Amino acid sequence: MERSTYRGCLDAATFSFGFYQRATCGPESRTSWRRYTGAVKAGSFTRLWPLAILPAAFLLGSCEAPGGISPIFPSPVSPNGQDIYNTYIGISIPAIIIFLGVELSLLWVVIKYRRSKQPAGYIPPQVHGNTRLEWAWTAAPLIVVLVIAGYSFAELQKDFQPVSSYDFEIVVSGHQFGWNYTYPQGFTIHQEGTLAADVTPFVVPVNKLIRLRIQAVDVIHSWWVPAISGKTDAVPGYDNFTWLKIDRVGTWRGECAELCGVGHSTMQIIVKSMTQYDYDTWVRQQENAQPATPSASPTPS
Amino acid sequence: MAAVQTLPRPKAYDDTFWKPITLWLTTTDHKLIGIMYMVTGLLSFVIGGIFALIIRLQLAQPNLSVVDHETYNQLISAHGVTMIFFFVTIFLTGIANYMVPIMIGARDMAFPRVNLLGFWLVPVSIVLYYGGFFTGGALDAGWTGYAPLTEKAYQGHSLGVDFWALSIIVWAISGIMASTNFLTTIIALRAPGMKLTRLPLFVWAQISTSILLLVVGAPLAAAMILVEFDRQLGTQFFTTQGRPVLYQHLFWFFGHPEVYIMILPGFGMISEIIPVFARKPIFGYMSMVAALFGIVFLSMTVWAHHMFTVGMNTYVEGFFMLMTMLIAVPTGIKFFNWIATAWWGSIEFTVPMKFVFGFLATFLIGGITGVYLASVPVDTQLHQSYYVVAHLHYVLFGGSVFTIFAGLYYWFPKITGRMLNRTLGEWNFWTLFIGFNGTFLIMHTLGLEGMPRRIATYLNPAWGTTNMIITISSFLIAFSVLLFFINVIRSWHGGEIAGDDPWQANTLEWATTSPPPPYNFAKVPPVRSFMPLRDLREAGEVPAEPEPAPVPA
Repeated sequence: MERSTYRGCLDAATFSFGFYQRATCGPESRTSWRRYTGAVKAGSFTRLWPLAILPAAFLLGSCEAPGGISPIFPSPVSPNGQDIYNTYIGISIPAIIIFLGVELSLLWVVIKYRRSKQPAGYIPPQVHGNTRLEWAWTAAPLIVVLVIAGYSFAELQKDFQPVSSYDFEIVVSGHQFGWNYTYPQGFTIHQEGTLAADVTPFVVPVNKLIRLRIQAVDVIHSWWVPAISGKTDAVPGYDNFTWLKIDRVGTWRGECAELCGVGHSTMQIIVKSMTQYDYDTWVRQQENAQPATPSASPTPS
Repeated sequence: MAAVQTLPRPKAYDDTFWKPITLWLTTTDHKLIGIMYMVTGLLSFVIGGIFALIIRLQLAQPNLSVVDHETYNQLISAHGVTMIFFFVTIFLTGIANYMVPIMIGARDMAFPRVNLLGFWLVPVSIVLYYGGFFTGGALDAGWTGYAPLTEKAYQGHSLGVDFWALSIIVWAISGIMASTNFLTTIIALRAPGMKLTRLPLFVWAQISTSILLLVVGAPLAAAMILVEFDRQLGTQFFTTQGRPVLYQHLFWFFGHPEVYIMILPGFGMISEIIPVFARKPIFGYMSMVAALFGIVFLSMTVWAHHMFTVGMNTYVEGFFMLMTMLIAVPTGIKFFNWIATAWWGSIEFTVPMKFVFGFLATFLIGGITGVYLASVPVDTQLHQSYYVVAHLHYVLFGGSVFTIFAGLYYWFPKITGRMLNRTLGEWNFWTLFIGFNGTFLIMHTLGLEGMPRRIATYLNPAWGTTNMIITISSFLIAFSVLLFFINVIRSWHGGEIAGDDPWQANTLEWATTSPPPPYNFAKVPPVRSFMPLRDLREAGEVPAEPEPAPVPA
């Protein structure tokens, strides 16, 4: 106590800003603070056991998934999704360190500096500030966020530019409530909104870089399949671009992510990837079923 | 002293409480107007909370239909509008209306009648919004009301959107009136000796909030007027044929600073409460003020981070990402200064102090998830998912609501002359803390698993358990809020008598009686530092006050 009081007075004398006009050290301020601390009733403190419930609830919430769904994205199946996942993990490293550091220091304050744990008549050092320390905790977060921003920007430039070299392009058009996928061959898959489990799948071949040209005909929608990549809004008036290159055969689900009206929650997306051979067969079936129109219209007729 | 049953409250002030309605309609006393603001805010909190509970029931399990999809969309919109526009902002305006003039040693606001008009526009705004429910359905496009979903072509069956737009215009006018009034009051009516460098940090926070609301209130009203032009006069600003993204720019230029309008007064309260209960002066007063203005400036340069998926140029996105992340710097300064204020302190964990530490522990999570969301690539995954819902509730519930409760427990003795019950307060805090974290901590995982927000129902059975835990926890929050209201109602007339300065505080509002007389001070106390009351106490100039009544066993 004696030491910290001394240090506080030293700090206040050395570093405090010019306009603090109170004398912060000296015998009379000490006695007056003793008077304050004596005057306030020492309360009873609730123990901290309820805090333990929180991590328990978190574990309970995140471990329930039977299908291997963890509190991180579903395993990415496309390189751009994988890069987003990596960025997420990268940001988590400083985030977790800062989180633990600050929460632990809060806990330390709660445990160490509560009045019932202090010696009777303890007078806290009247520190008004410390310029060097304040600059330090201005500069440290600045460096951390600049690093995070630079890292994120590199990823942004890598995966979020409209790709110029791709195998083929599919036009994805959102409407109330469903998606239309127009293939280069001219046929269109209608993925109408439904709350049933069987949605018409959007079929793509594996290991082909496919550019998606995303459009909307009425209100704003957002095309999102978490396992593939992030969202791309479908905005009436202009085209947005994203791409996918799925590395395995399978089925992935997604939904419209922008509130688009009463049927918003029915706008499910199912993406099905096939081997090139199966895909070619599927394309021939579709072409036989609906002959190609001369000019493939992205909007539904 | 325990035998004293009557409050030493000035008769003239006490009378006003129960006078007829005409007084409430015509008073220009900033304290009564402040109370009206606060009561309006708390009633909206209850209404918005009931909406939230219905939403949680609907989502408790996959494929439920407690309400139909259209009603659900109206409920989520009403929940957002009520909580943001009618609860948090209004309540904080109220507590500032009450406290700012007293804290700077003024006798009233600079424009008392503008103050009254500004308040009465709020019920007009609220009635207009809820009026929409009786025109065939209120706003159903989320509290953001993105065009073109709000346009006549898609929302022509009711006047709900029109009522919402008018309500927000009236609200913005009210906010501009209040902000002008605050700024003028703080600049012109400070007591002798109350230099700008001696203003309490709550007053500084109110300055920054008022500047923000002045700057961004008008663009919001402009956006709403353009929506009305589209709907009623047939213009094409935001229609499918127009530029819907322009609406998002206008809305978020208001919408993001609005987040700081809802949290900066809370920051101010935290900066008032920690020094009082740690018995230390605030650490780094000047950097706290600088951080406030850093946040004010940066908050107006970040709006497009709500729009990272609409397809902007990647360099523009990079700019908004950088500015957004930079906000972590001034916020970090405030956080570290708060911790440093408590460090080496002699902290009494009263109920307000518990809420302060609850705020620090939870708001940190909201700040850190904010950095994830600011990163454009990661945001394209998390945007419009339950991760965002969790994040914004950590900021607005863990941030604003916890500070509001801290402020209420701290200033209730000043406003009513009586303490809130401590045992009920402890229960209130712990149920709220557990219920809040139980609701929103695991909500992050839903977003990471791919559950979009604003969906009326979902099919994925894997999300069922998490949603059920969230729903149960949300009812714990409701229980906690119920405890709070029981506490307020019981303590309003039966609480322990507080005395003028129950916390041994630092600022001027505790230098007058509880509740303060109509003109606040018989004699304005001298101000010699930013802790004027402490100076008076140390100099022995505080008039001998009656001993506080002993704690009932």
